[in-house]
Amino acid sequence: MTASVPPVNSRRSFVLMGCGALAGLIMAGYSLFTARGTSTLAVPPEDVALVNQQPISRSDYLLQLQTLYGVDLAHATAAQRRKVLDDMIREELFVQRGKELDVASSDPDVRAAMVGSVELEIAADALTSQPSEAQLHAYYEAHRPRYASEGIVTLRDHVFAAGESGAGSPSVKAIDEEFYFAAKIHMGESLFDAARKLPDGGVSDPIVRPDGIHVLHMIKNEKPVAFDFAAARDRVLSDYRNEAIGHLRTGDEAFLRKRANVLIADDVL
Amino acid sequence: MVRITFILAAWAFIVAAVLARSSYIEARLLRADPDSIPGDAMLSGFGRERGAVLFEGHCAICHGDAGRGDPRRGIPDLTDDDWLYGSGSVSSIEQIIKYGIRSYHPRGWNIASMPAYATVQASARDGRIPSLSPGNIRDLAEFLVREQGLHADDAAAARGAALFSGAAGCYDCHAPDAKGDSAIGAPNLTDRITLYGDGSRESMAMSIAYGRHGMCPAWVRRLAPAGIREAAIYVYSLSHTAGAE
Repeated sequence: MTASVPPVNSRRSFVLMGCGALAGLIMAGYSLFTARGTSTLAVPPEDVALVNQQPISRSDYLLQLQTLYGVDLAHATAAQRRKVLDDMIREELFVQRGKELDVASSDPDVRAAMVGSVELEIAADALTSQPSEAQLHAYYEAHRPRYASEGIVTLRDHVFAAGESGAGSPSVKAIDEEFYFAAKIHMGESLFDAARKLPDGGVSDPIVRPDGIHVLHMIKNEKPVAFDFAAARDRVLSDYRNEAIGHLRTGDEAFLRKRANVLIADDVL
Repeated sequence: MVRITFILAAWAFIVAAVLARSSYIEARLLRADPDSIPGDAMLSGFGRERGAVLFEGHCAICHGDAGRGDPRRGIPDLTDDDWLYGSGSVSSIEQIIKYGIRSYHPRGWNIASMPAYATVQASARDGRIPSLSPGNIRDLAEFLVREQGLHADDAAAARGAALFSGAAGCYDCHAPDAKGDSAIGAPNLTDRITLYGDGSRESMAMSIAYGRHGMCPAWVRRLAPAGIREAAIYVYSLSHTAGAE
């Protein structure tokens, strides 16, 4: 039995090999000139310029154009476009020069800005991850006393001058429908503490103060009311996030300290 | 053998062609003036399709799958034409997605927060903003009810108006006519679109008393530039359904 073997088509083989090689070269070239972290001759589409390979974002450019001239790209003149681009390139050049000069080592504003930026980076992790409703509920339950309305009082503070036998008429200070915090400021801490315990219509025992003897008459005492979860959710979320940011910052600081080589002079501590 | 080689080569060619097309359109999308994209059916369709996936993965957890928000949580409705921040154009939506609102990013919208007037320090940023009494807060709510064209107690509304344009400093953010200022995210208080609550006196009083400071994260380093633009195009399409079809 003889099998018929088709003749080898060498031309087709060469064509296929050539196509494969060409495709490989195109892909390699494309990757070489567009990959991040490598030097590129082309400006990526999301940027308007590269300054020593550092991109200037197109959307930041458009925003700057809008902020400076109140126009979008389509309505900006060539001079306006050039001016904004020049300004942004100048800024980038100076930032790069600043890094070379290590201005952060001497300029407190740069140092503060860098600290702020790193803190922002840390916070971003907490801000972009949305906690579940169950997590928020658990946080709310664990911190319930925080989530209450401010109490409101209406009272009269009868003040008898020191040494008065009671026959003279006292002066009367009125606290009309004030939040607890405001009443506390107006009355002072000790009088307010006595007042907040009084029920509607209640009268306090005489309270001796340097300015005389106070008798408090509570007209209406609306005590703080705990917010339910729905009413408190906005504040719960905010507190939850702030706490998460605090944890992340503490953790990052611990990590930075752990990996740092910190030498402290003998005579400072 | 030759047939298999041809089939594989054809598949590779098709995949490469699809990727190249996608890459080409993405580059065009990024180079385009964002506000002109809604007028380009091909670009807006491409951006909308890919933006929908990103929205579902990153934004829907707060804004809901349909982008309708939730007034119980202060999440804005993205399907109406009421824009709290910016003009609602693709470029301004893109800036919000990129840098966020009260996101701690220095380029985000961090200019103002609603003070909490029923606290000892109404505003952490501006010590000149005073605390208010419960009566003041009721008067302000009454004034806002009147501004929305609803029946209100005239005397209380007049007192509220004086507070609004005087001591409470509300006019500074919400504008003297209470119509708000989208440059700082201060809502229009004269319409009936409410970000928080049901628009009742009680929910307005809650906002005045305890403040509001909703946030949107900055996605600038979390999403690629193309992704941010695609998400912006999708969000834009939610309130421009005629143009999106």
